[in-house]
Amino acid sequence: MTGAVGTVLLWCFAGAATLGAVLMLVARHPMRVALSLVGVMLSLAGVFALQGAHAVAVFQVLIYVGAVMVFMVYVIMLIDVRDPSFTKRYSRLLVPGIIGAILFLAAFVALLVAVPVGAQSPGGAFALKPFSAAFLAEHWLEFELTSVLLLVAVVAVLALVKGNGRRHG
Amino acid sequence: MPWLGLIVALPLLGFALNGALGRRLGKRFVSAVGCGLPIASALIALRCFLALLETGAPISETAFTWAVIGDRAFEVSFWFDRLSAVMALVVTGVGSLIHVYSIGYMKNDGSYARYFAFLNLFLFFMLLLVLGRSMLVLFVGWEGVGLASYLLIGFWFEDPAKAKAGKKAFITNRVGDGAFLLGMFILYGALGTLDMVRINEAFLAGPVPAVSATVIGLLLFAGATGKSAQIPLYVWLPDAMAGPTPVSALIHAATMVTAGVYMVARLNGVYLQAPDAAQVIASVGAATALLAATIAVAQYDIKKVLAYSTISQLGFMFLALGVGATGFAVFHLMTHAFFKACLFLGAGSVIHALGGEQDIRKMGGLWRRIPVTFATFLIATAAIAGIPGLAGFWSKDEILLYAFGSSEGGAVLLWATGAFTALLTSFYMFRLVWLTFFGRSRMSHEVEHHVHESPISMTGVLAVLALLSIVGGFIHVPHFLEPVLPIPALTAAGEDAEGALMGISIAIALTGLALAWFFFSNGGARAEGARRALSPLHGFLANRWYVDELYELLIIRPLHWISDRVFLRIGDRLLIDGALHGLASLARRGAHAFSLVQTGNLHLYALLALLGGALLLALRWLNG
Amino acid sequence: MDSAQMLVALGAILFVLGLAGAVVRRNLLVVLMCLELMLNGVNVELVTFSRLHGSTAGGVLVFLVFVVAAAELAVAIPIVLLLVRHKKTLDADAFKDLKG
Repeated sequence: MTGAVGTVLLWCFAGAATLGAVLMLVARHPMRVALSLVGVMLSLAGVFALQGAHAVAVFQVLIYVGAVMVFMVYVIMLIDVRDPSFTKRYSRLLVPGIIGAILFLAAFVALLVAVPVGAQSPGGAFALKPFSAAFLAEHWLEFELTSVLLLVAVVAVLALVKGNGRRHG
Repeated sequence: MPWLGLIVALPLLGFALNGALGRRLGKRFVSAVGCGLPIASALIALRCFLALLETGAPISETAFTWAVIGDRAFEVSFWFDRLSAVMALVVTGVGSLIHVYSIGYMKNDGSYARYFAFLNLFLFFMLLLVLGRSMLVLFVGWEGVGLASYLLIGFWFEDPAKAKAGKKAFITNRVGDGAFLLGMFILYGALGTLDMVRINEAFLAGPVPAVSATVIGLLLFAGATGKSAQIPLYVWLPDAMAGPTPVSALIHAATMVTAGVYMVARLNGVYLQAPDAAQVIASVGAATALLAATIAVAQYDIKKVLAYSTISQLGFMFLALGVGATGFAVFHLMTHAFFKACLFLGAGSVIHALGGEQDIRKMGGLWRRIPVTFATFLIATAAIAGIPGLAGFWSKDEILLYAFGSSEGGAVLLWATGAFTALLTSFYMFRLVWLTFFGRSRMSHEVEHHVHESPISMTGVLAVLALLSIVGGFIHVPHFLEPVLPIPALTAAGEDAEGALMGISIAIALTGLALAWFFFSNGGARAEGARRALSPLHGFLANRWYVDELYELLIIRPLHWISDRVFLRIGDRLLIDGALHGLASLARRGAHAFSLVQTGNLHLYALLALLGGALLLALRWLNG
Repeated sequence: MDSAQMLVALGAILFVLGLAGAVVRRNLLVVLMCLELMLNGVNVELVTFSRLHGSTAGGVLVFLVFVVAAAELAVAIPIVLLLVRHKKTLDADAFKDLKG
């Protein structure tokens, strides 16, 4: 979406994503953290959509929110609440972590000032037709590699679960 | 036909054959090769000698070019003039005889092949020494005979005392060799050549301005004191008696120890321009002769007496060299080779007959039991004592004459020292004969039971050498050598006293004989009395003037202390080992320090990644 | 500020927050979720720059990031569960077995 509305919405979604990220760091219960993350992801989906990258937005919701976060939520549900990590949110490296993050951000920002700002083609490479064409034509190898990767992940998980299942009876 | 090269190479071939195959092919093969090749060398030397007489011109042969550095070439070449002829004939002749003697003497030794291999090796190096044209070749031979000497002194190396004697000989020689090398360097630096023929030509033409002949002369003589056992480096020779007796005869009497004399004789041009150095040589020679003779008087080991006798006679040779009577020194060298080899081999025969006994206090009454040995030993003793008519008389008398009246440094003091030494020589040699062969037998019963004359391979050689000790004096060597080694003129006093001096020499020889008979006949009762009366003096002499103990105190102990404290403890253990261990421990401690990063804490790793990323970005930003 | 710059800054912020969260939070599952946050930040950057340069390779890379994130989580969760079964806690600081 172009124009002033698009820009306002973009900034809103961006703000929401940032807010969700901060909440992730502050929340005590992992479930709250998970839900904040879901919020971040949905905001980002909106950002992608406003950018014209509709395919990516759809993937974001389907894969990330729909599969990854659901899985995450299940796991959190199954974990016992009475865990010491629930009472003490932060590790011993809180202060060094914050300092490191500020330094990192500072360096990043210093670099970013030099980023050339150019005209952005709406949708551009992410319009569905050219996107799929490119995928299935030029980048076929990467496509196949992803299937290999998924197969490997499946095998790995099976090995983990089956192997340990035998050991622990 | 490279005759000279062949003379040198044949013994080397013997070394290679016996060394590699000797053990496997048996004693007959070793004897045949070990004696045959030196005899062949002797025959070739004889042939070259005859050729020299015929043509009158020295033979020069170049074997090969050893090294070329820039525009300077170092060649291995041989030179055969009158002096080389005399030396080569003595070395190969007496050498071959001693090789033959060894067949009988070393018959029952387990390392028969090794013995002959080393003996041949020695002969090879000695021939390099006397036939070499360049000082470089001479030095290779010089070092090589030192090596062979070490190998043969320590031949029975299982006995640590014998091995130590070999070490002492080699190390003492090395000290002298250092000075020798310095002399060579200075010569090369000044003249650009080490060719002795050219060096002599340069010096005979007049003093060479670039370099001091005196310095060179003294440095080279310092090397000679090591090899030819003069003060101060003679201490190895008595200890060298630990080797087999034929080795003592060949190396430490007839040939190797004469190398210093040969070297000074060969470079007579240098010494002509260095009268101060010549004076030093004469004085040291005379002093050494006297010192060694006094020690010999109080020794009880038959070989030790002969060893000190050798040192003393070498002193005579250097005395002659120092007063310019070079040809006479070489003459004495030759006669000494004959009778000293005969004496040593005779002593070997006695030791062989007595089954290993070397103490003359435990001998006696042998003249009837081993007559051939006795007769040859007596003849050789008479020769060394200077009994008129025998070889030693002629050579020694002439040396004393020139010591008195040579126009190139003769002095009464030198003559007096030499004369007194000659008296002592006659005395202690006849003492040796009396105690060993005459009187009541002081041997133990089983030793006496087994006394037997040596086989013909040994007694035959003794007979030949005894014969040479008789007739050798009539070979007019100094006259033969005159074209190469000029004879100095006599002063007026010297000419006048010539007859008287000869008379005194005869008197000395006979007086020594008489004194020895007086003290040592009847089993030496009178000698015992004299010994007890003069006990402190006798003790001093018997303990060899405590020179070895002096060296031990002044040189060996400080060196040992430095080696231990400074070089071992500080240099090696503290610095070198410390550095290495330090490096290793540094690596270990560094690794340990780095391992502290691995706490196993996930958060720390993530933090490090964060900081690393920040750093990379910052670097990217700083570098534009 | 241009929207492109803002989006790049957004991606940066999300990435940094995710990395900081991995350092700061104690709960293992929260750490995993922070990893996902980092990946999302990266995706934002990729999409922005891909649109800037008109490059289709950027799009492919985004797709790959999705797949990798999913696979990674699928393997990571069982591992976490096995660890929890072993140590009876989700505290990241309790896992010090690889020390030294």
